[in-house]
Amino acid sequence: MASKEYSKDMLKNFYSTMVRIRAFETKAAECFTKGMLAGNIHLCIGQEAAAAGAMAAMEQEDYMATTHRGHGHCVAKGGDTKKMLAELFGKKTGYCKGKGGSMHIADVDGLHSLGANGIVGAGIPIATGSALASKIYGDRHVTVCMFGDSASNQGTFHEAINMAAAWKLPVVFFIENNSYGVSTNIHSVINTENLSIRAKAYGIPGKTVDGTDPRIVYEAVKEAVDYARAGNGPSIVECKVFRYQGHYCGDPAVYRPKEYLEEGMANDCIEKMKKVLLKNGVSQEEITAMDQAAHDELEEAYVFANESEYPDPSEATTEVYFSDNERSVVR
Amino acid sequence: MSKKMSISKAIGEALHEEMVRDEKVIIMGEDMGKMGNVFGITVGFQEEFGMHRVYDTPISESGFCGMAVGAAMRGIRPVVELMYDDFITVAADPILNQAAKMRYMTGGQATVPMVLRLPMGAGRRNAGQHSQCLENMFCHTPGLKVVAPSTAEDAKGLLKSAIRDQDPVIFMEHKLLYAKKEQVPEGEYTIALGVADVKKEGSDLTVITWSRQVYFALEAAEELEKEGIHIEILDLRTLVPLDWDSIVKSVSKTHHVIVLSEEVKRGSYASEISAQIAEELFDELDAPVERVCGLNIVSPFSPTLEDENFPHPADIVKAVKKVLNK
Amino acid sequence: MAFEVKMPQLGLTMEEGTVSKWLKHEGDTVKTGEVLLEITTDKLTSEVESEYTGILLKIVAQEGEDIPVKGILAYIGESGEQVESSEASAAVQAVSAGEAPVPTPVPVQQTGGRIRISPLAKKTAAKLGVDYTALVGSGPMGRIIQKDILTASEKKAEIHPSGLPTPPMPQKNTIPSALELMEGDEVVTLSGMRKVVAERMTKSAQQIPTVTQNMKIDVTNLMALRKKINQDLGVKYSLNDYILKATAKALKNNKHMLVSLDGDKIIKRAHVNIGMAVALDDGLIVPVIKDADRMSLGEISEKAKDLAERARSNKLNMDEYKGSTFSISNLGMFGIETFDPIINQPDAGILGVCAVNDELVMDAEGNITKRQVMRISYTLDHRLVDGATAAKFQLAIKELLENPMQILL
Repeated sequence: MASKEYSKDMLKNFYSTMVRIRAFETKAAECFTKGMLAGNIHLCIGQEAAAAGAMAAMEQEDYMATTHRGHGHCVAKGGDTKKMLAELFGKKTGYCKGKGGSMHIADVDGLHSLGANGIVGAGIPIATGSALASKIYGDRHVTVCMFGDSASNQGTFHEAINMAAAWKLPVVFFIENNSYGVSTNIHSVINTENLSIRAKAYGIPGKTVDGTDPRIVYEAVKEAVDYARAGNGPSIVECKVFRYQGHYCGDPAVYRPKEYLEEGMANDCIEKMKKVLLKNGVSQEEITAMDQAAHDELEEAYVFANESEYPDPSEATTEVYFSDNERSVVR
Repeated sequence: MSKKMSISKAIGEALHEEMVRDEKVIIMGEDMGKMGNVFGITVGFQEEFGMHRVYDTPISESGFCGMAVGAAMRGIRPVVELMYDDFITVAADPILNQAAKMRYMTGGQATVPMVLRLPMGAGRRNAGQHSQCLENMFCHTPGLKVVAPSTAEDAKGLLKSAIRDQDPVIFMEHKLLYAKKEQVPEGEYTIALGVADVKKEGSDLTVITWSRQVYFALEAAEELEKEGIHIEILDLRTLVPLDWDSIVKSVSKTHHVIVLSEEVKRGSYASEISAQIAEELFDELDAPVERVCGLNIVSPFSPTLEDENFPHPADIVKAVKKVLNK
Repeated sequence: MAFEVKMPQLGLTMEEGTVSKWLKHEGDTVKTGEVLLEITTDKLTSEVESEYTGILLKIVAQEGEDIPVKGILAYIGESGEQVESSEASAAVQAVSAGEAPVPTPVPVQQTGGRIRISPLAKKTAAKLGVDYTALVGSGPMGRIIQKDILTASEKKAEIHPSGLPTPPMPQKNTIPSALELMEGDEVVTLSGMRKVVAERMTKSAQQIPTVTQNMKIDVTNLMALRKKINQDLGVKYSLNDYILKATAKALKNNKHMLVSLDGDKIIKRAHVNIGMAVALDDGLIVPVIKDADRMSLGEISEKAKDLAERARSNKLNMDEYKGSTFSISNLGMFGIETFDPIINQPDAGILGVCAVNDELVMDAEGNITKRQVMRISYTLDHRLVDGATAAKFQLAIKELLENPMQILL
């Protein structure tokens, strides 16, 4: 249960972020199914509360690194859904000019997003390196590293968290545990109930929370961010979420028992939040308006992405190098 | 004016000068701090610059290389050392997938101004996991620049340029050159990346090479001079970007080419250069391009076996005569 | 030391020659420039002259023997001189051009037909105008290297004391000549229409697996009808006009003959556009009668005449000899009885029309009558059309030509 009191605006913000994420993912799925997108997409429908709660706990200037299932984090961090969707389309108006795609949306200087990553677990040392930079600079930025339950079994998890703990780096390791790594249930490959228990091994704080309520996620991450900003070092926050879709859009997820999805739907974060809003004096009209705004925003994003131009083929050989690019690409 | 110093000292000097010049330059790696590196390159650095600029890392190559990428994306200029270039296999993802690709995949947003220093090469009887020359792996990967100097002067000037470069630079140092003492110019200087150096002029055949093999080529050249054969030795110094203009110039003069390296021959960067010459300088050639490289074997331990595995001056002499049909 | 007489290289492609006849015999005195023997290559017979004066000491290559280029044919020396057995047995020896004989292995280029030459040597040869086809390389495997070209170039300069630069080697796109010129021969560069015809015919012949099917047609009735119509109407429709009309009609009913192959696609042609081969003084051109199936006999006749005349006076527009979907070549007026026409790409077939001759024909009752008979030779692209299908199409033409009223209906 959430322990704090929340203003109406803050609750509305949680809700608005969540419906915007869902609208984005729904639109992306629609475009993917129509064959309009290049490559693969990995959707976070069902996990919206985690993104909304975690990002609300961060300051604008704080950094984040995310994963292949990272659209939600980007929306919650304030990402422009037009540029995001355009990137999924492979258009030159996308965040990465069509050179990254769904798994690589980044906005280093603007959103302070170090980017999504196509290699599971690769973002953990990168985020830790960002925290090292903050420590060297002596700035007050915290880096939040988002990753899934499966990345916690990569060697980078141990290596980076160990160094972050040893050197007290301002980083929060935020695990979205949706129980599945593609088709493999996390409990078939680990021997503990939760992942956050590993924090003990590194001598840092760790907790596991319900990831379907943005308020609960917010509180846990806020605590960890404050702890890091105060110079105490890293923490692990694990939140339990449900991944409604399969691993990628189009994956029928036959490897999961139907109870998984039933339990997820019964705890749908958006439906639950709606009730919280109504209970806290937000009118149905206001909720409908937020739903409509998210819908309209994505319609606009869709038109923008669809009508944007693909990069000129000549762009293929640019930006491999910062300097001496032409010579370094020719041979 | 110049002063005589070992190549390892020249590298240390470059690091020191750059750390003084730019506070964002940091050093990371195993045993770089307290011990000052196994070759003594950074002795005293940690006391001078502090714990926050010289890091003794745990044995976590993947972890600290990945951290260097993240820090570099934030503007820090990490100079990371893997104790042996062979260890790249455990740090392959952060270097080959992250550092190399970050700029491109973010549409030009991110830069990763890091340097990865890699002691490499055979000859120290360290066997198969501590003796490799893996230039091909780095040169193959778009996004990385690759430097492999042979002299103290070049090592210092090139390392300073590498540290100031905005792209990730792989800096390959041959372990058997560290103790070599050579003249290094006094004072501040840099050498631009991507510029080859003619270490010896000649008219009959061009030996294109780099790193330790430059010295073997020079020895071979002396031997060949006695027989009236004058070879030109082109020290590439930087492998990516490749100084193609210098290659064209030399090959157009001598019409005979040997590409010499210590790599495993199969799939080597020497092979790549050989292919490019065959493709584009076909009409300049009076004989096929010859690669003189290591064998396609695991680098062996026992001295008699290891010495079989990399080219010696005598091998170069033999190859030169073969190409010149003498 | 005896001189060697060697099999000369008479062209770029020559690998060996056959000794056809010795005109001199062992023991004969020979002078420089005297003909020693005759050799034959694929098609030509050539004489080999002596480069030395002396006694023909020994004939190594006997009549009928095939000897590779530069293989030893005979020895010439002084009277009483013994030919060393090693020399005599070395029937196949090669020497560097112009140098004293040095036994080396037979260069690969002469036996393999390809000249081994380094890229630089080739470039240098072009620059200095050195013909390297007869050089023997000193590089590995007999490869000609730059040094060989430079040596050859120096020797050449000695031969031309005037110091005038030697003409450069032909640049690429010109094919080195391989034929020996004979008395009175004239050399004309392949160009213009001749070149286009040569290229198109070669391409067609190389690309298309063809079958030519000949069929006999009784044109007695047709000839009679033609005569009558020409008289009655005061016109001059040629036999060819009737054949064009009949073919157009047959094609209209056999549209599957009108196809073109384009890579892995078959294009089914919508129009009956008949190309009509017209012989010119220096080549041939195929103007096209478009939509011939929609034209009357009179229209076809007029069009054919107009196109042929303008073709001969070189006044055709470009679009008038493009777009054929079928072609006809008529050599009947020259008395040709059958021939195998080459398909005019991208058509899938060409109809050859042959001469009309009188033949004696026996009918079912055994009566022998004189009939006028003509053959059609139809060449088909067997990738697209099969023999039986084509035969049915030929039968359709036969049916029309033998029942000429149907042509007009």
